[in-house]
Amino acid sequence: MNTEQDLLDRYAKGALSAQETAALEERMKQDPTFREQVEKHLSLIHALQFYGERSRLLKTLDDAHQEIETPEKVVPLARPAGWKRYWMTAVAASVALISILGTLFMTRSLDTKQTAIYKELRRTVEQIKKSQKLMMEDMAEVKEKPNPSPEAYAGTGFLISSNGYVATSYHVIKESDSVIIENARFGRLKATIVHSDPANDVSILKIEQKLDDLAQPLPYTLSMNEANLAEDVYTLGYPREDIVFGEGSVSALTGFKQNPNAYQVSVPVNPGNSGGPLLNTKGDLVGVISGTQTETMGAAFAIKSTVLMDVIGQVNVDSAALPLTLPKQNTMKNSTRVQQVKRWKDFVFMVRVYKN
Amino acid sequence: MAYYFDELIVSEIRKKNEGVLRELYKTHYAMIVNLVCTNSGTEQEAKDIYQEAVLAFYERVQQADFILTCKIKTYLYAVCRRLWLKRLQAKKRFQGSLEETESFLGADEEALNAEEKEKQFADMKTALEGLGEPCRSIIEDFYIHDLSMETIREKFGYTNADNAKNQKYKCLQRLKKLFFDAHKDH
Repeated sequence: MNTEQDLLDRYAKGALSAQETAALEERMKQDPTFREQVEKHLSLIHALQFYGERSRLLKTLDDAHQEIETPEKVVPLARPAGWKRYWMTAVAASVALISILGTLFMTRSLDTKQTAIYKELRRTVEQIKKSQKLMMEDMAEVKEKPNPSPEAYAGTGFLISSNGYVATSYHVIKESDSVIIENARFGRLKATIVHSDPANDVSILKIEQKLDDLAQPLPYTLSMNEANLAEDVYTLGYPREDIVFGEGSVSALTGFKQNPNAYQVSVPVNPGNSGGPLLNTKGDLVGVISGTQTETMGAAFAIKSTVLMDVIGQVNVDSAALPLTLPKQNTMKNSTRVQQVKRWKDFVFMVRVYKN
Repeated sequence: MAYYFDELIVSEIRKKNEGVLRELYKTHYAMIVNLVCTNSGTEQEAKDIYQEAVLAFYERVQQADFILTCKIKTYLYAVCRRLWLKRLQAKKRFQGSLEETESFLGADEEALNAEEKEKQFADMKTALEGLGEPCRSIIEDFYIHDLSMETIREKFGYTNADNAKNQKYKCLQRLKKLFFDAHKDH
């Protein structure tokens, strides 16, 4: 038995001579039980060798693991001997200090910020009032009627249904106590906030009094489809006290930081344009102007009309008592742009926001 | 660049360069700790499955037919992710999904292979532990550390080589029984 095992061990290690191997294999062919025995022995030896190899590797990995957990020791450098070394260091340090201070003194700024920032386009009226006042004083025609509480912000809004619903940007009206909308045709109207969607920067207002002038449906519709790249678009808004027209095209189908709910448009916009309608060549609404990017020329952003439609859907759920009927037919798609703007400007309002 | 570097690592591991293995181990450990610890595991568990995956990778590389089809990082991540999913399932502690950021073709087989190897290893370990001393040392010295019978005789104080051989024979018979009996159960 012992000698046989010796033979098998040597076979497993491949240490048998050719003659012995041949004899062994011949015997395995003849005797199936012997063959089974040999194979069992071999598989055990292989399992043992596998075990040995693996435990050695595991030890290596554990060693490596130790190195992760105990970071390498920091060997302190030998101390510089003598006063001379310190003197050199002091000179080097003062040179560095002087050059840093000198550079700072010359440039006068640590500020090297160049980050692009999203800028909302509501207008802060106080500032404009102030500069206006200065101008008035210059012209020596000071006639001031002090308002009981001066308005804080102004933006733009537009009608989305013939029964008095108005859409604007959420950021325009977010801090409001009361909202007044105003344009040339309807004068000043008080409005209440019906629904706000801060995430999409859209708010829906309702004009409190009934509009008698507006018996007929609106002449434009809100586009259910996304605009195409390079499509011509224009906007109407109140960046100042008068309505201002601006045109451009859709330059990207996403907004600030790839926001999929907005377009980038090359329409010139200014503070006060926020909430203004973005219209295509047919005069249909494709977006709502909401902001611009600082440091980038000619990049304005508009919330897509499809998003506005979603928000309007939420309003209908919220307040079923006041049906918000959307306009269904565009009756000015064949008009020239001048004709379109003539009709559209009646439905665009300046949104004045008052807060205490 | 990274790919080229990976090829270099593979060729060094083929040469059984253990320094490279250590560095490889250290490089990606943090990634797996992060994976496991953010998915209801501990650092110890992360270490276990990571070592399993690294060893499986090492052994796969030794095989002649192995071809690197993805970055080593991806390989380790995908294998560890699958191993960890299985552990979680076994513990019935799995909530939500474990996000798959990187994977490669055949990751499932690799994970299965890693598990199988780990099982083989564990089986042999239990068998050897059941064997007791001095049998275990004799078997390990002869079959794993390749010591000669003469050295073993001296080390364990047997009077002659035949006694030592007899002892080794008995030990091996016992190990055979322990190992294959455990195998039958599975």
